[in-house]
Amino acid sequence: MIELKNLTKKYDDFTAVDGLNLTIETGDFFGLLGPNGAGKSTTIGMLSTLYLPTEGEILIDGEKLTRKNTALKRRISVVTQEYSMRQDMTVEEIMEYQGRLYFVPKKEQRERTQELLEFCDLADYRRRTVRKLSGGMKRKLMVCRALLTRPDILLLDEPTAGMDALARRQMWNLLKQLNQNRLTILLTTHYMEEAEILCGRVGLMDRGRLKEVDTPRAMIERLGRYAVDCMTDGEMSSRFFETQKEAIRYLSGLEEDASLRNTTLEDVFLYKAGKYLEKR
Amino acid sequence: MGIITVLWEKWVEFRRDFYKITLAAMIAPLMYILVFGMGIQTISHGQPYLQFLIPGVVALTTMNGSFNAIAQNLNVQRLYEKAFDQVMISPTPLWQFIAGQIIGGSLRGIYAGCIIILLVLPIGISLCFNGWSFLIMFLNGAVFSTLGVVVSFYARTHTDVPRFSNYVIMPMAYLCNTFFSSDNIPHGLREVIQYLPLSQTSGMIRSIANGEPFSYTGIGILAVYLVVLMALSFGFLYKKKNL
Repeated sequence: MIELKNLTKKYDDFTAVDGLNLTIETGDFFGLLGPNGAGKSTTIGMLSTLYLPTEGEILIDGEKLTRKNTALKRRISVVTQEYSMRQDMTVEEIMEYQGRLYFVPKKEQRERTQELLEFCDLADYRRRTVRKLSGGMKRKLMVCRALLTRPDILLLDEPTAGMDALARRQMWNLLKQLNQNRLTILLTTHYMEEAEILCGRVGLMDRGRLKEVDTPRAMIERLGRYAVDCMTDGEMSSRFFETQKEAIRYLSGLEEDASLRNTTLEDVFLYKAGKYLEKR
Repeated sequence: MGIITVLWEKWVEFRRDFYKITLAAMIAPLMYILVFGMGIQTISHGQPYLQFLIPGVVALTTMNGSFNAIAQNLNVQRLYEKAFDQVMISPTPLWQFIAGQIIGGSLRGIYAGCIIILLVLPIGISLCFNGWSFLIMFLNGAVFSTLGVVVSFYARTHTDVPRFSNYVIMPMAYLCNTFFSSDNIPHGLREVIQYLPLSQTSGMIRSIANGEPFSYTGIGILAVYLVVLMALSFGFLYKKKNL
């Protein structure tokens, strides 16, 4: 279980994360969503000990996470937003380096590398340097590297950014499988579809504060399960309805181009983000 | 053990860039020996100048080899590639990471120094390099590798490392008992320069090379530098709020 207690991160006068309280149960697939600058990556940064909190603490199964707590760090793997890899190392070397950093036995490291690279279609590129890989391949390699150590907790900071649609689907399948095996996953993403498909619970952050935590379904239902999109004066607007009947009644009264569809998490995000912006 | 991991990483890098590393280690010192030692043939302290110059060049080559192997590389890993993030995230104890960098950098320094020793063998100057010489070279390499770690950690941009090199490493290379005795430096500045690590290393290696006894104080001074610089690097890794 991951517990964030009053977690705060300040950079001089700017508060990136402001008193964050959150509990993620073992085996949860949790999504942290929010506009740019909401504090998602800073939260991941603190969970990976790259940033030290200004206030508050992080507990993993009741134990405090610090830079010196190597036993806890052994259980966590991180896929950072940037390609945090030596560009001059080959794919194979990157995997071996990770295995060594996490003290994975050599035999296990080799077998697991083979398995993961094959799964991610990177086996043919094992001798290629990172510099020569495409953006999507680098992302896949980062995920392979993170999984090599068989972590209990996986922190993913926009793991599918730059991947093509097929690779993204493959990644989703892999993450789903891993989560079914009780791996705790914390994901930040800008793809709402990704969060909706993968996450059991999501939290919406804005300006360092956690505004709302719930299941994607519950959030959608609160907004209304049906959406009517309407184009007025070249501008798209949406209205949300609890029942299909209400939505159809509204739609039939419209003279402009309009369409009916199911509400998505993206609608929730846009609606909430709009509200947050209004409050600013 | 984390130290082995870092040494493995350094080995991968060395193996891949073997020719580049070897050539880079050779060119500047060879130029010094050719220009100052063989081109401008002089006598120093009653001996051929080369007798004085070679130990100094070996010392400065060790310094450059170690500093450059760590500072620029770590700086790129931290600020550009962000590969250093993975080390911070990993369970490898950070002290082991630093120790690995220091040992790896020292070995690179010794390698560079050995190349110069091998290259000057045919010149026929009778100089002695024994176990003490290599220990001092290792210690000198350790000091400058640790300085490389500190500089790369405190650097805010990619250009900070070359800038530091220009302001600190290069003047040291010329002034610290390498090309001429620090006794010739004006009073006041001489006392400062004498206590710099490269001055101590040059002095000790030169004494050994000429079959003279050397002062163990020099080893103590190098050890003090090493401890202080290590404390600075550990402070950065464990205490710095944002890396």
